[in-house]
Amino acid sequence: MSYTTEINRRLDWVKQRATAAPVSIVLITVGVLLAFSPVGIVYPDFLLPAVDLGILTALYGLVILGVNLQVGHTGLINFGPHLFFGVGAYTMAMMASSGSFAGVTFGLPIPVGLVAAVVLSSAVGLLLGSTSLQLRDDYLAIVTLAGAEIFIRLINGVQPIFGGQTGIQNIPQPIGAVAASYKTGLTATLLIFSGILVAAYAVVTKLTDAPYGRVLRAIRADNDGARSIGKKVGRYKLVVFVLGAALAGFAGAMVPLYNGSIAPTFTTITLTVTIWIGMLMGGAGNNRAVIGGLLIIMGIRLFTRFMNTYSPVGGGFFAPLRLMLIGIVLWAVIYYKPEGIWGDPDRLGEVFTRK
Amino acid sequence: MVSPVQSLLFSLEFGSFIAIAALSFSVIYRVVGMINFAHGEWLTIGGYLGVLIAGQVGSILAIPIVIITSGLVGYGLARTFYRPLRRSGAGPIMLMLGSIAVGYVLRGAFRIVFSSEPRTVILPTQVYRFDAFGGFFVNSTQLLVIGMAVLVIASVHLMFKRTDVGIAMRATGSDEDLAEVCGVDTSSIRRNTWLAMSGVAGLAGFLIAASTNVFPLMGMEYLLLLIAAAILGGIGSAYGAIAGAYIIGGAVTLTTSYLPSTFTTLGTGVAFLILIVVLLIRPSGIADVEVAT
Repeated sequence: MSYTTEINRRLDWVKQRATAAPVSIVLITVGVLLAFSPVGIVYPDFLLPAVDLGILTALYGLVILGVNLQVGHTGLINFGPHLFFGVGAYTMAMMASSGSFAGVTFGLPIPVGLVAAVVLSSAVGLLLGSTSLQLRDDYLAIVTLAGAEIFIRLINGVQPIFGGQTGIQNIPQPIGAVAASYKTGLTATLLIFSGILVAAYAVVTKLTDAPYGRVLRAIRADNDGARSIGKKVGRYKLVVFVLGAALAGFAGAMVPLYNGSIAPTFTTITLTVTIWIGMLMGGAGNNRAVIGGLLIIMGIRLFTRFMNTYSPVGGGFFAPLRLMLIGIVLWAVIYYKPEGIWGDPDRLGEVFTRK
Repeated sequence: MVSPVQSLLFSLEFGSFIAIAALSFSVIYRVVGMINFAHGEWLTIGGYLGVLIAGQVGSILAIPIVIITSGLVGYGLARTFYRPLRRSGAGPIMLMLGSIAVGYVLRGAFRIVFSSEPRTVILPTQVYRFDAFGGFFVNSTQLLVIGMAVLVIASVHLMFKRTDVGIAMRATGSDEDLAEVCGVDTSSIRRNTWLAMSGVAGLAGFLIAASTNVFPLMGMEYLLLLIAAAILGGIGSAYGAIAGAYIIGGAVTLTTSYLPSTFTTLGTGVAFLILIVVLLIRPSGIADVEVAT
């Protein structure tokens, strides 16, 4: 028996067992154990931005799964995931914070905050979805975007309630509180959030592989056709829209829990643009591909963050260059590979190209 | 407390910015079939060109030069960034995303070239005060803004109704293939639309820069307002856009002047609320254009 077949055999053994459920359980268990262990992990400081951005990537991963369900599978153009992310984040922050510099806080336990965050973001999704999902693609895009802008104006403008530019502080950090050191806490957070992402991936894939997912893609391909074979198209669209909103709201609710505070900068349109770039770059309509695309765009962001720290030009020049880079990457993806790196051009034709 | 007449004047001025901008946005949508999310940056271009040009040649002469140069710049951008996308078969949503990308690139470029400091176009200004109706004032810049809005609206109206180019533009917007079969050179119509409407958008930016100031994110602040106006009026309808613009202008100005100062950012929020409500109740807008599937 040759050496390579032996390796392949072992790889297959690993592949069979390393499915989403055990991987997610292992990641979360290791993360929780690490958080409670008295061990202080040591790694060089320059890796901190990578871990930090990794945490954000895991949370964006939850958002992108939801948006992909809406856009990639069902063809609902949602330009406002940062609205639902923001609703989740602010609900959690205001519920859990025990006294902030500005804004209303309730000092409730975290689980209450989490439930409230998911319920409220779903409710906003339900409100927006039940009223606007019958609109044409481009109008739906504008409504979702306008809805998100209203929310941002609201949290920026009504300082007595939402804390304005300063945001909400003093939010309990459950992982940071028990961990032996800052770096250990951050690493444990990354592991736990990645585990949650893998679990969410498994659930969403289960849904999209099921006949349910086929109905969604039928709606994307031909709205009236799906209706004519007796599918309740409006119901499906609404459920998917609310599901995506809930996922984004859950992801948003995680931010204050590791960050300790929340401010309007976490819910800007750049979040939505990052999500869209990741989705298109990977391949809309394919759950694994969109997470791959997200990893690439977040990798680019990490690279530019390092460049910013170590390059000779000042931040005043570098910050706009980074924004320009986002624009150029987005444009290039649309021009060169709108179906994405791992996407299937035939499956995407209906939504993104001229019929 | 400002007098009602004064508020009305501010609303008229603000509405005029939005009317000129929304008109150009709407005509581009109608003829070219594209929602240009970078249209706010088209305004910013006009504002910065105004700062550069008015410093050289003086104020009134600057206006035609700004219109021509921003028309050329806007057309150049559309040709560089949008035409390749369209040719590669990108649909409306992809073009919309492409324009978001262009917006990012332009805003970054503005910050690098002009820095984040607000600039302003300095025009010689005369202030006229009146004691009637509880007292109000008008300055010559406001009169210029309102006058230019009237002029632009009248010219676009005449172009659409009376000239062959305008009729060809409407034909291209309704059915491009049919227009082409009838002998309309649709690609030249597209070019002329971008040239003319980028010029009009540049004029709006110039007026904003003259009346307040121009900064890299200025366009972002006006983008959703002008989209709101265009949708309120029924997107693709030039006249609807004008009506929508003055309604939005009035709503924003009135909320800003009569709400407590902590809530001033809600002024524009009100405009978006109007936008959403209109889309829900009457998605076709005032002018009744078909939009729901």
